[in-house]
Amino acid sequence: MSAPSQQPDLENSVPAVASPPPVEREKSIPESGSEPISLRTTVICGAVLILGGLIAGYSGNQFSYASLFRDGYVRERPPGAKITPPAPKKALDAYMARGKKIFEGKCITCHGPEAKGNGVTYPSLVGSPWALGETERFSLIVLNGLAGAVSDGKTYGVMTPQGIGMTPEDLAGIMTYVRNHFGNTKGDVVTVEMARNAMKASAARKNAGQLMSAGELADHVRNLEGKEVKPDDMVDPLTFAPVAVAAAPSAVPVAPPAETAPATGTAPAPDAAPPVPAPGAP
Amino acid sequence: MSSASSATPTSDAAIRAGIDRSLRHPVMFFLTSGAAWLAVSILLAITASIKVHCPTFLDGCGFVDFGRVFPAHINTLIYGWGFQSGFGVLIWLMARMSRQECRSAGTILAAGHVWNLGVLLGTLGILCGEGSGMPWMEFPRFAWPVLLLSYIAIVVWSFIQFRVRAGERTFVAQWYLLGAMMWFPWLSITANTLLFCVPGHPVMAAGINAWFKSGLVFLFFVPSALGAAYYLAPKLTGRPIPSHTLARLGFWSLAVVAPWAGMQKLAGAPLPVFLPYVGAAATALLAVPLLIAALNLLRTIFSSEEKLPKCAPMSFTLAGLVSMLVLAATAVLFNLPGSSLWKVQFSLSGYGFDMLAVYGVFGFMMFAAVYFMVPRLTNCEWRYPRLINMHFFFSVYGIGAIVVGAMIGGYVHGSAAEAWLQPWEYVVDTLRPFAAVSTFAWCVILFANVFFFLHLALMWLRPDRLLAACKAKTEDRVAQSQQTEDPQSTTP
Repeated sequence: MSAPSQQPDLENSVPAVASPPPVEREKSIPESGSEPISLRTTVICGAVLILGGLIAGYSGNQFSYASLFRDGYVRERPPGAKITPPAPKKALDAYMARGKKIFEGKCITCHGPEAKGNGVTYPSLVGSPWALGETERFSLIVLNGLAGAVSDGKTYGVMTPQGIGMTPEDLAGIMTYVRNHFGNTKGDVVTVEMARNAMKASAARKNAGQLMSAGELADHVRNLEGKEVKPDDMVDPLTFAPVAVAAAPSAVPVAPPAETAPATGTAPAPDAAPPVPAPGAP
Repeated sequence: MSSASSATPTSDAAIRAGIDRSLRHPVMFFLTSGAAWLAVSILLAITASIKVHCPTFLDGCGFVDFGRVFPAHINTLIYGWGFQSGFGVLIWLMARMSRQECRSAGTILAAGHVWNLGVLLGTLGILCGEGSGMPWMEFPRFAWPVLLLSYIAIVVWSFIQFRVRAGERTFVAQWYLLGAMMWFPWLSITANTLLFCVPGHPVMAAGINAWFKSGLVFLFFVPSALGAAYYLAPKLTGRPIPSHTLARLGFWSLAVVAPWAGMQKLAGAPLPVFLPYVGAAATALLAVPLLIAALNLLRTIFSSEEKLPKCAPMSFTLAGLVSMLVLAATAVLFNLPGSSLWKVQFSLSGYGFDMLAVYGVFGFMMFAAVYFMVPRLTNCEWRYPRLINMHFFFSVYGIGAIVVGAMIGGYVHGSAAEAWLQPWEYVVDTLRPFAAVSTFAWCVILFANVFFFLHLALMWLRPDRLLAACKAKTEDRVAQSQQTEDPQSTTP
């Protein structure tokens, strides 16, 4: 051991330890024993192992990536409770709301917040004949991108395809949004059905996967097929499925259970009870 | 220890005294500043807890919003107190068991100050609203490299001491301590890289965060606690650990199973199914190493009819071992198939589990070690045994109330949340009594720990010695002046 330290604070002129000091009262650590593992310990640990296996097995399809969590993990609603679907919206508002989201995620980077482009590499969408004209042509540009001259004859930068990951609802939303915003007032709705047809048309192209060009677009100057939806028709704001006006009565906080409704003798059970009044409700 | 060497008992005691002296200041620094952080953390816990049952408390002051005070409480508890008392115990135990004096006390002290600075700035960052929002990693980004580097500067010397240890023999305690020392950098680097440097999908980030949290508990706090326990139990009683094989099984099962645990927190989240379920199974399996260690140590302590030494380290070790058994049982119960997991998953219960592991298992073992070490380090007996008694009972009852309250409260909380047609206020109302219990219990624990801090500081700074030195100096001076005055007085 080293020589007694010279540091002043280690000098213990005041007796502070009992005799013998703690360090001399210590016992030594004996060598560990060599007992075998007892039966009791084995049984306890074995029980824990079995429980662990049960837990792991309980997930069901452990290594399936098809479903992300165990079947039934998301609870059923309690008996008697109703899920209130979102309040129906006017079709134009619903599609525009979706389109706004897509625009702000994808288009805004190039075409800018006002959709005016920059006049050099990015063309303006305001008043653009291709955006406002026949819907099939417009949809194919959105889905596949564009190279070469545009409607005003000028050549801007290359537009990359935007269709990857887009659902028909997204495509319908973004087209409706551009046609009815930024000073564009087309007033019509590009429906989900039309967007689905656009995707079919896009997939059926001869040179699928390549950018569109003015030449090829000339073959697609037509409107997409599909049942028209009027801007004031009521739709579900998430699925855009049409909602019958009769099913959207005034707000009821929690709908009575369906099976008790007839007994009350009132009008047909209001299955879809919106928590907020529908915007278009009279 | 002496059995491993051929030294005579006297020279052996001298070696131990030399080791203690070489480590006095770094270890006492860690223990004392750790105790101070513990008091701060409990104060923050009380504030957070009051805000649950009395939301208008300190209303309008952004610094003490629940969302800031609660993470500040957890992070000061983990990094301010947990790690620092861990450092103190770890470097001392490693030096003692390797029979090596510490030659880098200065570096360790300096790194300890850097660590404290990191914790302080991180905590202020949280209170100013710059927290990262990830449980147990709430310090703003800048704190993590600081903590990691100072961590390495603090523990690397213990590795070296282990490498150059006297004799070939290793102690069970050393395995656990080495494990704890090595696993933290791994956890920290992995989590920080995946969460801050190359962040991926946010859902996966939540999973990684849950894994990190579980890793800290089972790969730092639990092995540190077991290191201390495997040292103290045979040391205090002088009885051997009955089964070396069982100890080895316990260590390796912890090392193999613990890294898989943690992701059960994300059960039901859109992650690959096997991640949460492997996490749940691994957490349940962790009962094996915990039970093995607790049984082995309890059998060490109770292996003979002789009366147990009645001392604070012994009581705290026993309390820690009981907490370990409870932790093992909860680890299984909370994860049983079809059990309460989905009810307690996002409730108060997790907090109860964390506190059981951090204060119950780790904390009690650290206190045991502190009460054993400090008289040796400072060469001074504990001044106020009553304070130690109070610390023990207040801690046991306090943490018992918090853990039981949080676990039951969490179940009630989770069940109330299931009635989702009720307004959320209803769920909050069910929590109120449990939060009130928790506030009261933390107050009790705070009281005991403030005195624990003062007691430690008193042992380290030894004001009586300073006073005595001053007195001696004054007496000298008086004597001198009398000597010089004497001739004058006699020669007028």
